[in-house]
Amino acid sequence: MFQFDTLSLVFTALIILGVVPNLFYSYGYLPHIERKAYYQIHYFAFILSMVGVVVSANALMFLLFWELMSLASWQLILTEAKEKKTLDAARFYFLMTHFGFVFLLLFFLIATDGNLELGFSAMHSIVAKFAYPTLLFFFIALGFLSKAGAVPLHVWLPYAHPEAPSPVSALMSGVMLKVAIYGLFRFLFDVLYPWPLEWGVVILVIGSLSSLVGVLYALSEHDIKALLANHSIENIGIILIGFGMGMIFESMGLKILSSFAFIAALFHTFNHMSFKSLLFMGAGSVLHQTHTKNIEKYGGLIKAMPVTALTFLLASISISALPPTNGFLSEWMIFQSMLGSSHLGDTSLKLAIPFAIFALAMTGGLAIACFVKAYGITFLGLHRSINAKHAHEVNILMRAGMILMALVVVTLMLFTPFYIDWFDKVLTEFGYPSVYERIFPEGIWHMHSVNIHGGVVSPLILLGALLGVTALLMFGYKVLDVKERIHRTWSCGYHASARTQYSATGFAGPIRRFFGWLYKPDEHFSRESIEGDSSKFSDSHYEVHVRPLFEKTLYQSVGKSANFMSYWIYRLSHFEQTRYAAMIFNLMLGVLFSYRIFAHDFSWATLMLEGAVMIISIKVLIIGDKR
Amino acid sequence: MTAYLLTIVILLLIAPLLLSFIKALKMYLLYKRPISLLQGYRNFAKLMQKETIISKEASNITRIAPFLVLAPLLVTLFFLPPVVHGAFYVSFVDAFTITGLIALSTFFLMLLGLDSASAFGGMGSSREAFIAALVEPAMVLTVFSVSMMAGDLGVGQAGVNLAAHFPREHTASFLFAAISFFILLIAENGRIPVDNPETHLELTMVHEAMILDITGVYLAIIETAASVKFVIFASLFASLFLPLGLQYALPIAIAIFVFKLFLIAAAVALIEVNTAKLRLFKVPNLLGIAIVFAFLSLITFYVLGA
Repeated sequence: MFQFDTLSLVFTALIILGVVPNLFYSYGYLPHIERKAYYQIHYFAFILSMVGVVVSANALMFLLFWELMSLASWQLILTEAKEKKTLDAARFYFLMTHFGFVFLLLFFLIATDGNLELGFSAMHSIVAKFAYPTLLFFFIALGFLSKAGAVPLHVWLPYAHPEAPSPVSALMSGVMLKVAIYGLFRFLFDVLYPWPLEWGVVILVIGSLSSLVGVLYALSEHDIKALLANHSIENIGIILIGFGMGMIFESMGLKILSSFAFIAALFHTFNHMSFKSLLFMGAGSVLHQTHTKNIEKYGGLIKAMPVTALTFLLASISISALPPTNGFLSEWMIFQSMLGSSHLGDTSLKLAIPFAIFALAMTGGLAIACFVKAYGITFLGLHRSINAKHAHEVNILMRAGMILMALVVVTLMLFTPFYIDWFDKVLTEFGYPSVYERIFPEGIWHMHSVNIHGGVVSPLILLGALLGVTALLMFGYKVLDVKERIHRTWSCGYHASARTQYSATGFAGPIRRFFGWLYKPDEHFSRESIEGDSSKFSDSHYEVHVRPLFEKTLYQSVGKSANFMSYWIYRLSHFEQTRYAAMIFNLMLGVLFSYRIFAHDFSWATLMLEGAVMIISIKVLIIGDKR
Repeated sequence: MTAYLLTIVILLLIAPLLLSFIKALKMYLLYKRPISLLQGYRNFAKLMQKETIISKEASNITRIAPFLVLAPLLVTLFFLPPVVHGAFYVSFVDAFTITGLIALSTFFLMLLGLDSASAFGGMGSSREAFIAALVEPAMVLTVFSVSMMAGDLGVGQAGVNLAAHFPREHTASFLFAAISFFILLIAENGRIPVDNPETHLELTMVHEAMILDITGVYLAIIETAASVKFVIFASLFASLFLPLGLQYALPIAIAIFVFKLFLIAAAVALIEVNTAKLRLFKVPNLLGIAIVFAFLSLITFYVLGA
């Protein structure tokens, strides 16, 4: 019923690391919530069901806990259901998560041969006999990636995460998405092993697209929690890039590189849990004080909320993959595993993987831009609203939660070798060679890539050097004993005010303009000109909204075609009775013709003729004249 | 070890000189009376004596960020390839780390721009973020390509390998990578045609806009950081793409190396004189060229082996 192998334990540890700081934060946040009992029941059910998913050992338990996790998180989004927006987001989440569930159910029904109490290892032999393993791969890809939020199944994230209470957003984004990654690991290794090359390529392409799409929409977002939710899409993409590289190397027979890439993916899973939870907690604290999610209404919060600002800065540096943080280390590992592609024998793959490298590097650059925006507009400068002016530091429990999560980030940074060793054990259990000795051949100081002549990084030495040099410079500044004077910011003779400083919309302006072909922004610009003069105006207003392209094209066209189909089904059920007879006649005609075509000799001439007869009879007898 | 430390000291010392040299050469070419080559040092000395004015609107970030802008660049100086055969070099740092350290420095510079609540600071940060985001992929791809030709991803080791065995059979891809890297050198250091370091016209400035509210010692630190960044890029270019003259004795090798740095500075000055600054929205085209050359370099290496 339950199993506790290393993979399960690693993910249990991930959940515990994500949940413990969250408990503190959650209890600090509780006075803010009206329906306290309701919230707590679902909160704990959510946590327990996540643990249940990662330790369950048969299909039935897995599906039970998976569904419980979805339902509990769905109810948690509805904790503070006051606006229609929240209800819509929850409904969308419910729909998407069950869209995935259907595919998981299909996968399990096929893989267990109907006996859902079968263990995972027993499923492997059933799957080995199944004729279409790629079908099963697509089932679990759709099932898990719709939960993880990979492109094109990511659209629910920027709606659902902002509407949930902040501790829940931290849990959903930090931990629940990782449970989906666990599912991918578990069933690809335990049930669907070995994989053809194409599956790895599919995962790699999805990962590259997700990382770019996520960061680009994050940049255009004004809602701080939606911004962070979009960054979850990006980071899931980065994890999937590592995962896809691992699968590609595995199917090419390069076990050591494959193991390295999987370790990188697992490490990034942990890192994303730590810094994304911390960011959501910080955003929650800001939201708690200013009562708005609009980033344009913040500003100058670093003075009133130093703890929040400092922890948010740590997480921002980490998520932007800047050295010497843990986010840099895992992204470095993923880069190194992609550089391993030069050892592949397949030239077309060798030429294709640089595009994934390009996507990942671009993502890194844009993530830096996005977090400068998020941090700079939220915490620096002048207050942009009254609420931001009256903000003060959150209560001690919430602070404790943020500090504990910051400590998790720091431990991931300092004790990298320990974590890598652990992830290595996960893979040795699946029959991979141990690579720990290759990553850390000379003790814990230097971290090597497993490539021949690959890169080296020394996180601890880098951290020490940076801290040392900064301390030395600051000490030098102290020794110089420079005279300091406080004066207002120079702004061409005027006083600097909140209205003249740069806004988040303005900050992302150049990037929004460059990627205009993708964003297709809705711009609203109005101004009151003075006496019809085009250059003098008393009041002006500019607003820009970006709606995700996927939502506009993919989802809306699916919605439209469903509408269209339902119209025809409606027509069908409201026919006159004579037409039903005609339909039965046509159906029989169709059965007879197709029997002849499929069971007997096939010729194009009869096919065309019979097709024409069918079309005419449908047109004349069923559709009739257009009224 | 002496050679290693000596190189770092020399690089630090000539950093302001190189920027003054570019400026002087430009003025000379424009038939102006060139500034003294020592102007960089004079500015530094003057700024060190001034008092620091801190904006009323700014937070503690302004007090920390200048140090965090300079520190990663100073750390990077220790990781550069050796300039003379057999000298000590740091073997445990690869090009990704150096890219990351430079990005860390830029990150704090951008925060500094947003801290003083001035419209100019935000403008500069926003533009810098835009340019930096597009520089990143070109940088990583170029690094990847060079590392394959050098046979090692470690910067120090790559420099040594290239000096010991110049990849004559890969000249084509080597050249493409060099073009890409030179464009990145210009873009990262904010030279014309990407940014004009001498302008104080708010419509065009990028780097200057971010530091408009910084004075005194802090400004001295930021200016030093800018010159150190140029030296880092120039010496990376010299070691990776002009790997000549390492086999001589220490004084001659260092003289050759410094000469190469001045050569690169002269090339930058010539480009600055002969081109106009690009509009901000044309900059992606230039960086696109860098990305395309980086891809070309990889493709030629893989497909043609040239």
